[in-house]
Amino acid sequence: MRSKRRKIGMAEFHTVKRIDNSRLVRNVEPARMRNLWRTVALGSVIAAFFMLYIFQHFRCIDLSFQLEDLKGQQVKAAALNSELKLEIAGLRDPMRIDVIARRRLGLTEPLPSQVQEYDEPDGSEVAAARYVRPNRAP
Amino acid sequence: MPQERAHVRLLIIAGVAFLWMGAVFGRLTYLQLFLHGDYLARALRQQQRTIEITPERGAIYDRNKRPLAMSIPVDSAFGVPSEIADEHLAARLLSGVVDVPQDVLEARFESSRSFVWISRKLPPEKAEAITALNLKGIYLQKENKRFYPKRDLAAHVLGFVDMDEKGLGGIEYELDTEIRGKSEKIVVMEDARRRWFDGSQAKLNNGADVVLTLDEKIQYLTERELNAAIARTRAIAGTAIVMNPNTGEILALANWPTFNPNKASEAPADARMDRAVGALYEPGSTFKLITLAAAFNEGITRPDEVFDCENGSVLVAGHRIHDHKPFGLLNVAQILAESSDVGAIKIALRLQAPRFYDYIRAFGFGLLTGVDLPGESRGLLRPVDDWGSFSIGSISMGQEIGVTPIQLVTAVSAIANGGLLYRPHVVAELERGDRVLPAEGLLTPTEARRVIRPETAATLRRLMEGVVLEGTGTRAHLDGWTSAGKTGSAQKIDTATGRYSRTQYIASFTGFAPINNPAVAILVSLDSPVGQHEGGEVAAPVFKRIAEEVLTYLDVPRDVPLNPKLIQAAYQKQTKEEGSALEDLSSVDFSGQPDAAPAASQTTKLDGQGRTDSKRPALTVAVDQGGEVEVPDFSGKTMREAADISLRLGLDPVLVGSNLAMDQSPAAGAKVRRGAKITVRFGTPLEKKSKPRPGNRN
Repeated sequence: MRSKRRKIGMAEFHTVKRIDNSRLVRNVEPARMRNLWRTVALGSVIAAFFMLYIFQHFRCIDLSFQLEDLKGQQVKAAALNSELKLEIAGLRDPMRIDVIARRRLGLTEPLPSQVQEYDEPDGSEVAAARYVRPNRAP
Repeated sequence: MPQERAHVRLLIIAGVAFLWMGAVFGRLTYLQLFLHGDYLARALRQQQRTIEITPERGAIYDRNKRPLAMSIPVDSAFGVPSEIADEHLAARLLSGVVDVPQDVLEARFESSRSFVWISRKLPPEKAEAITALNLKGIYLQKENKRFYPKRDLAAHVLGFVDMDEKGLGGIEYELDTEIRGKSEKIVVMEDARRRWFDGSQAKLNNGADVVLTLDEKIQYLTERELNAAIARTRAIAGTAIVMNPNTGEILALANWPTFNPNKASEAPADARMDRAVGALYEPGSTFKLITLAAAFNEGITRPDEVFDCENGSVLVAGHRIHDHKPFGLLNVAQILAESSDVGAIKIALRLQAPRFYDYIRAFGFGLLTGVDLPGESRGLLRPVDDWGSFSIGSISMGQEIGVTPIQLVTAVSAIANGGLLYRPHVVAELERGDRVLPAEGLLTPTEARRVIRPETAATLRRLMEGVVLEGTGTRAHLDGWTSAGKTGSAQKIDTATGRYSRTQYIASFTGFAPINNPAVAILVSLDSPVGQHEGGEVAAPVFKRIAEEVLTYLDVPRDVPLNPKLIQAAYQKQTKEEGSALEDLSSVDFSGQPDAAPAASQTTKLDGQGRTDSKRPALTVAVDQGGEVEVPDFSGKTMREAADISLRLGLDPVLVGSNLAMDQSPAAGAKVRRGAKITVRFGTPLEKKSKPRPGNRN
């Protein structure tokens, strides 16, 4: 047999071994999973805390702007109120009213004899009466 | 092997990433922990501002809370030169808006880098114009500006302020501390756009509001009559004061010349002077009231005691005194009524100098009255030890003594109210919000001081009534109320010669009304009237007009019946007694043909201040009391017809206008009493159509 040595190539055989692991189930360690979820939860809480803090901070600044804006509007409204009061006071200037009464409306001062004092009249007997003011003597 | 290489690469990348993150976190840690303080301070410097809140200056009101002075915020323009890109351009554009020269603005921009005023307290249109320019570095801020909406009404009482709202006269000066309030500083945070987003709450300390004793309407009436008197008499100055004699409250205080506090800087100093409290003058015959008050109170004479006025001339201590008329025997009442200097001197000589001096001081002369207005003068009164041999005579007739109008009207008020001298005042109270502040300092109420007995005051009131009824003050006779007073015509000192002038006088009248329970005391004083200079001629009519208007306004009940002659005088030639009361009435000419319209030139339009010299008709109106009359319809009737119908029915017609009757009041068919007044307006039908209704005109 040795005499008959023939040079022949070494044949290699690759054996493909198909391993079906589908029926294998990874054994999850419950403790590790619990730790994982605890960590996630804690991290979420911390993140939410920081988010809330940041949100409040900027919300506070935003509200401050609005508050100052409203204060400004209030000041403007008060200023407008004052301006209107000033205008009313100017319109009620006795000289202005006097000039309007005399020059535009042709009114004049009554004579002393034209200012009569009446008792409260019967409505049917007097066609024209002027309401007498209460005595304002100081 | 390849796996090992991949693993190494991953490690290298991770290492780089960790290094980068380490650097970032390290930097953050350094900035946030080690440099925290520095950056916080820098941020605060940028964002934080300390703002001074200027308090709102308190308003000033009259006694009925009508505003006389108010502050409102207006815009003031300022610049931050460090932010202005082109100062030359900015100055050129702004100078056209704010009326400040361009070179002045440029100089201001050079003077500071952080803040310069461009123009303060701008009118709204100029502020809008500046905003429209949209210049970088130019901003507007609010400042309070003082406004006086009634212009020159009560100018001397109110005073005025400067640009920084500091009081410079009147109540603005006297109560400046109370009115201006206290400024507060607040800290605010602002962003890059200068918007505030946080600020401490300002504790407002606005100024107190002042409520005066003045009545706006009475003040206006007084000023109007004084101005009219000045125009009529061409006096160089005048003063009128209306006071409540029972409390010392000043209802009106008017001076001429006057000024507009809104433009006080443009008014001359002479116009800004409050003559009512600061101007001295020799009171003349009005001072005889003090002489007689002292004499009556001491019991050294009586109203019916007769004195020999020596035909109007007497020699005392080397001085010869002349009366304005050669009076013979006069009783004391007549001495006052006719204003006899000789009589007054004789009474004063009986009184003697020390007692007379005591009464003069008791009435407040030579002393401050304590009125709450600045610039008050105490007057001129030499101590009795310095009186000359004739001083008692001079002073008894109102010479050799200097008084202020406020002193004199206060003294007369004491006579009016029964002998109590009150402190005159213009401030009623201070308020902050709805709260009345306690009266302290200048506003502390003071007790009235008795200077004469009530009986003495009553006697004097009666004598002063005589001045108005029969003496030199008949033109102060009121229609519907009793009145009392005293005239004064004091010679002024000629500064060139140092002697009494023969041409320049102070004409005055001071009095009160009604006599029983007086409601008002009034003083009118005119400096150097041209032409007539007697107080009874020029000042008494002003007193009458002011008193009648004020008493009507105050609804003071009449204490005497209306003068029936007044109604007749409306249709008769104007007499001396009724003169000034009818100056507003149109003249009506009844002397024309029946149904003929009076010529236009003979009728005058009703004018509150005009005077008419038109011929007045002679027609007597008979007024019958009692009964009821139905008012007829006067439409289309002529003036003569309307007057005839009215007189037949016993009505009192007031006919206004000319031509045919167009309107009447009361209306036709109304029932009125006999003697009631019927107003009928006349015109042409075209006039009625074209006559504008109130409010339609611009």
